[in-house]
Amino acid sequence: MDTIIQQLLNAAQLGAVYALIALGYSMVYGIIRLINFAHGDIFMLGGFIGLIIVTHFGGLPFCLVMILAMLLTALVGVTIERVAYRKLRNAQRMSVVITALGVGIFLENLVRLLIGPETRQIPARLPTGSVVWLQQHLGVFVTWDKVLIILISLALMAVLWIIVNKTLVGTAMRAVADNASVVPLMGVNLNLIISVTFAIGSALAAAGGIFYGQAYSLDPYMGIDLGWKAFIAAVIGGIGSIEGAVIGAFLLAGVEVITVAYLSSNLKNGIAFGLLIILLLIWPSGIMGKPLLKKV
Amino acid sequence: MALKPNPPTARPPFQPALWVVCCAVLVIAIPMQLLADAGFCPAVFNPYYLHVLTIIGMNIILVASLNLLNGYLGEFALGHAGFMAVGAYTAAVLATRLLPASSALPPVIGQVFILVVTLGGAMLLSALVGYVIGRLTFKTVGDYLAIITLGFNMIIVNAIQNMDFLGGPRGFTGIPKNTNFIAVTVCALLTIVVLRNLIQSSFGRVWVSIRENTIAAELMGVNLLRTKNLAFTIAAAFAGLAGGLWAQSQQFITPRSFDYIKTTEILVMLYLGGMASLSGSILGVVAYTVLMEVLRNLLSAFAPELAEWRMLISPLILIVIMLTRQYGLMGHKEWRWLRPKRVA
Repeated sequence: MDTIIQQLLNAAQLGAVYALIALGYSMVYGIIRLINFAHGDIFMLGGFIGLIIVTHFGGLPFCLVMILAMLLTALVGVTIERVAYRKLRNAQRMSVVITALGVGIFLENLVRLLIGPETRQIPARLPTGSVVWLQQHLGVFVTWDKVLIILISLALMAVLWIIVNKTLVGTAMRAVADNASVVPLMGVNLNLIISVTFAIGSALAAAGGIFYGQAYSLDPYMGIDLGWKAFIAAVIGGIGSIEGAVIGAFLLAGVEVITVAYLSSNLKNGIAFGLLIILLLIWPSGIMGKPLLKKV
Repeated sequence: MALKPNPPTARPPFQPALWVVCCAVLVIAIPMQLLADAGFCPAVFNPYYLHVLTIIGMNIILVASLNLLNGYLGEFALGHAGFMAVGAYTAAVLATRLLPASSALPPVIGQVFILVVTLGGAMLLSALVGYVIGRLTFKTVGDYLAIITLGFNMIIVNAIQNMDFLGGPRGFTGIPKNTNFIAVTVCALLTIVVLRNLIQSSFGRVWVSIRENTIAAELMGVNLLRTKNLAFTIAAAFAGLAGGLWAQSQQFITPRSFDYIKTTEILVMLYLGGMASLSGSILGVVAYTVLMEVLRNLLSAFAPELAEWRMLISPLILIVIMLTRQYGLMGHKEWRWLRPKRVA
């Protein structure tokens, strides 16, 4: 029983990180129909920015480190969109995807050259003691940082949900996602909305990167693997849908953790991708996604 | 008289320029390998140059066959390295099993026989895998197709990692070196000729029509699933061919070398060269590979401390090319010897 709860919490922690990345994928896709292949590397970059802040400004409290890293990464995300994607917005779709691949490779190699290929860990800034209440009532040994990572991630997702559904910017974002050619005619600044989307997506990815660097480790190429996983999560949930991305992320993390715990870690990727294929064959546009319409 | 379009024949018209180019390439390739084997003038006939050229040849097969899907058919397939893995492992198993037989045969004939058997097996099995995957995959379109093909790539790699008789994650060692530059050149030329003829045949026209307007093509009576799957199976077979050559040229393969990093590399060369253009596929591979090798040599000769920075130059070049020429260097254009001959 207690091992099951342990594994569920592990899955929730991994799922929270996946969800933070997947949300960025899903939002960008929803608005400009771009698979932003560089997003996994923005996640990696966010983690490393957090690491640099922690090592150079050791005295900062954790929440300031996070806010600073999220702001800086948001700036990087907006710059990437401005420099590499904006010019191709009306081009054929695949050229932007390839540009995004190029940006991703560039970021990986840049971090590798500047910081080095070694695996690093962000020094623990969250309390690492055991959660006494859980230990007393359920007999489960859980550390505070794991619980906090899950809770802060859920809070960030809630903030995102409020921004998208309750604010003017969010209304404009949803409108652009619905019809990007009419909305600018209504006086909405399309470039601004797209920049805001990239900023929010990158900031969430940075939060994910810092959490991942605390709970696991950082290396310059981790963005490829985790980026793909998060993208799968977004696709399983129905890309373009915020709720779908979160559901997909926790589902994928659950399957992975259970596979590693009860079967074999060698099968992890195979089962994750197998799940993706089976789910997509059942729901061709994801769990929460809208089906693609053919227009003549 | 107005220009009539080509009649939709299954066979394209005879085109001498193509054969002239193919013969010219062979006339250069065969002496190069033979002179390099004999150790003649190592400054020119250098094994290193031959190695780079061999890699170029194998990459041309991969990129040109992926162009069939991503360029001509207009889908976005991301799993090409998976089929390459199937081909590589099939060829590796066949080659090691056939090793005693090859020593019984006379040298050149034996080598050719082994190559035909291993590469044929590699192509057949990857075509079979491609067919099955295509049947499942083409129920989806667009980005979902991209993800499913990528998923199958990962599943193939993961399956190989869990098969002990293939060496598992440690890789497959001790594959005999049956390929040389001549074999790779012949295979690359064959691929280009076959793909060119296919693209100019009525099949090719159907693929392009699906890319241009799927609904219109369907209304004209095109069986979408079957036609797309045919292209997918053919592309998988050629990826298997490249994998078979790769295994017998490197003599050591690991599952990890066929994951999405390899697929990404193929994509980069494909889009650098250009969509829906065989000339672009050749140019993209040559430009990318030569650029990487030249940068490596230049930087290590003149600025060794900057040698690592070439890793930043190649993605930058890719981004700049996409921003300035969004269809790649040769997108939708062909060199004259690959262009269909007009029937006036």
